[in-house]
Amino acid sequence: MTVSADDRMVSVGRTRSAPGGFARPGLLQRLSAGRVAGLALIIVVLAFLTVYPLSMLLYGSLHSTPPGMAGTFNLNGYQDVLTRQSLLTLLNTVGISLAKTIPSLVLAVSLAWILARTDTPFRGALEVLITLPFFIPPILTAMAWGMLGNPQVGLLNQLYQWVTGSSSAPINVYSYGGVVWHMMQYSVPFLFLLIVDAFRAMDPSLEEAARMCGASRWRTFWTVTLQLMLPALTGAAILSFIRGIENFESPLFFGSPAGIRVITTDIYDAINQSSPPRYQYATSVGFVIMVLLFLIVLLQWKLLKGRSFTTISGKGYSPGIIKLGAWRWVTFAFCILFFVVTVVLPVGQLLIGSFFKFFGFYEWDMLTLEHYQAVFGSSEFWRGFGNTMILGLVGATLTMLLGGAVAYVSVRTRWRGRLLIDAMAWLPWMMPGIVLGVGFLWGFALLPHAIPIYGTIWALLLAYISLGTPLSVRVMSSAYSQLSYDLEECSRVHGASWLQTMWRIMIALAWPSFAVGWVLVFFGIMRELSASVLLYSVGSEVLSVVLLKLWANGNAEQVSVVGLIMMVLVVLFRWVQLGVIKKRISTL
Amino acid sequence: MSNVVLEKVSRNFGDFAAVSGVDLRVSEGEFVTLLGPSGCGKTTTLRMVAGLEQNTGGRISIGDRVVSDADRGLFVPAEKRALGMVFQSYAIWPHMTVFDNVAYPLRVRRTPRSELQGRVLTALRLVEMESYAERPAPALSGGQQQRVAIARALVFEPALLLLDEPLSNLDARLRAQMGAEFRSLQKRLGITSLYVTHDQEEAMALSDRVVVMQAGRVLQIGAPEEIYQRPQSAAVASFFGSPNLLPATVVGCTRVDEREFEVSVRGAWTGVCRAGAALAAGSDVFVMVRPENVSLAVGESGLDNGRAVLSGRVVQSSFHGARRAVTIEVNGNVVRAEIPALAPIAEHVSVTFDERAAWALAP
Repeated sequence: MTVSADDRMVSVGRTRSAPGGFARPGLLQRLSAGRVAGLALIIVVLAFLTVYPLSMLLYGSLHSTPPGMAGTFNLNGYQDVLTRQSLLTLLNTVGISLAKTIPSLVLAVSLAWILARTDTPFRGALEVLITLPFFIPPILTAMAWGMLGNPQVGLLNQLYQWVTGSSSAPINVYSYGGVVWHMMQYSVPFLFLLIVDAFRAMDPSLEEAARMCGASRWRTFWTVTLQLMLPALTGAAILSFIRGIENFESPLFFGSPAGIRVITTDIYDAINQSSPPRYQYATSVGFVIMVLLFLIVLLQWKLLKGRSFTTISGKGYSPGIIKLGAWRWVTFAFCILFFVVTVVLPVGQLLIGSFFKFFGFYEWDMLTLEHYQAVFGSSEFWRGFGNTMILGLVGATLTMLLGGAVAYVSVRTRWRGRLLIDAMAWLPWMMPGIVLGVGFLWGFALLPHAIPIYGTIWALLLAYISLGTPLSVRVMSSAYSQLSYDLEECSRVHGASWLQTMWRIMIALAWPSFAVGWVLVFFGIMRELSASVLLYSVGSEVLSVVLLKLWANGNAEQVSVVGLIMMVLVVLFRWVQLGVIKKRISTL
Repeated sequence: MSNVVLEKVSRNFGDFAAVSGVDLRVSEGEFVTLLGPSGCGKTTTLRMVAGLEQNTGGRISIGDRVVSDADRGLFVPAEKRALGMVFQSYAIWPHMTVFDNVAYPLRVRRTPRSELQGRVLTALRLVEMESYAERPAPALSGGQQQRVAIARALVFEPALLLLDEPLSNLDARLRAQMGAEFRSLQKRLGITSLYVTHDQEEAMALSDRVVVMQAGRVLQIGAPEEIYQRPQSAAVASFFGSPNLLPATVVGCTRVDEREFEVSVRGAWTGVCRAGAALAAGSDVFVMVRPENVSLAVGESGLDNGRAVLSGRVVQSSFHGARRAVTIEVNGNVVRAEIPALAPIAEHVSVTFDERAAWALAP
């Protein structure tokens, strides 16, 4: 569920790059045996990572008992899905996602316009700041907002009471508003990243022509700029909508306590909070939601087919920058406000929370470092930290290697199996993390005992690779399709073997994309919660699970400490990504 | 329709002067071309007239209205100037049909629906595109987009038409055809036009007058023939083709009429030629001779009834179909000639040209 957001972003960006439809024969063509073996290996790996959990999901939804136990096949799970309660949950999910997508889109368009098309000061820095929330694990902001907007002891309510002297608490994040608000913090920068290049790449003469025709700036914006952006905006909005349906953290933290049910938390509750666990119901719901998402994806594909305008002419130019005069400080303040609300407030809350003895009681004599001592002295924290790091490093590397191989086959060869490979790698794209988690849960449990994956760190690793594969394939595909075939062939003509060519040319030229993808996959693994929470067991907890457990025990103070440490990691990786790698890759 | 007057118009980007002190008057119905290499400020000048760029100095008026005056802080934005403009990329909106593209300026002006249809079709008929009205804009070829762009710029009968390298994205044959079509349309409608190009042949073929620009300044303004035959400086001369510039020293100078002087020179070439300004005796000049005015004769000979003769050795000769380009070394100077392809040629040739084709320029 987490990584899948990014690959959509890449796939949108990719539609602009040249289609590789005229692929020339790959270099492995003549190595027939090696080719078959390589192809078979990729297919087996992908099948295990994507088709297997999917088929387990189907099996589970039709089978009456938990994994590995004798039972009968029936449709009870789907009958449960068709109850009034479940349908309401489904409607609720769709409604919440719509409610957050529309204001997010308005905000993202405003921000994209401000940063791409006006002379607002410090635009470069602002862009880094306002996209930061996209990289912060949602669980962090969820917990921070849980503290900020708590109706009893939340900092914002305390502040309000202190300023106005009243005793009412206007802000309660445990509500529909809270769920939507928390989703928006993530989806605004997500949408922004998707659409800002469309704003940036537009041929300015299309707008100038409207102004020469007598249209005011405002009319030009409505009749030309926005209309031209419409395909890109629709695509981005649908992705954001899907993302809202898949969202787990926001409804878990702010919806469940208030009795607001959505599909993802429904699945989670059916497995983790019901006794006995209602596995069949959970898998059925999971399968239904996948079909739903698949239909939305089809709809999107149909809607956008042939509707993408080429607004970019070959000539290099800078888009028309609008001079705002004194208003540019207003737009500047608007961007800063967004950053303050989405980053400074939650991170500040974590900072404050980590130094006071009890969350909610902010007195000078309550200052303490004991939470830091407790966290750094806790073996559970270190285990979670170690697991997240190992899973992040190994998982990101393996995911990118797999993605690189799949992308090479599908973009630069004409092998007959490549469409199948591409489709299989794309499957997790429409599986919310929690659904994939359920699929793997069944899958691992049904494996023979000689392969003890269930309950180990391997289970998480495989789930992460599966979730990250669509993203890695998109990143590497766009990298390969931009490389001219001449480079590859030239190297061969000059006597390099296929391996040497791969190593020296393809990898050397594609490594920046590899690195960008790697960092994105790493981010995805670090913030993954919904699949992890189903697949972890004692000993294989990751940081996000450690956080969730601390939170469930009411230990908000230590949550703040762990949250801050994760935040430092986020900033560190983002800095590396921007400073070292981004120079060559502009699309991410 | 309208006079356009630019007075001391300048545009600075920080310390960089993109355009400095441009003075220009365009009469009603005139077709004036701004010509120069890329980065010479011609497009910036056009955009300042359009109102898409603000001039940092000077004054621009269109008709009897001052549209921009840097000293008074007056600036009329583009949409209030009511000018037609054709962009290099045509800027045809891909989300509209051809009809909607052309109707846009009328809709902005709240033209009644009854009138709108007829005017759009009239404009499309002018550019022979009326049968394409319902086509979506992306389904057009480059030349067709060009026509639609012109129709859109003309449909509301603007006082002035601005064209920013409108032909540069077309292939060579279409470029010539579209250029000629547009020129005849412009003459028929009598619409004042300001045109920007870097293509000297296009500029000469289309314009009433050409403004040659370089590094943000106007080098010369004049009819195409005048600029070609009687350039005011070596820079202008070099901009059209690659003329021969032979160094010489002035011996004497007499006025012929209001515009021309007769100059006798001595140097790489010795003889009598014309000049556009009085040149002091003893000063160094270049004698400009266009390669197509140079003729060659096999062998060496002396003076040939009134024509100056130089002897030289052929260094290079290349065949270009109708013409042959020959490079000859004459006493350490290089002379380029364009001669008929079938003309005889040998290693040693004598180089001749009509004195009327020689034009003296101060360096």
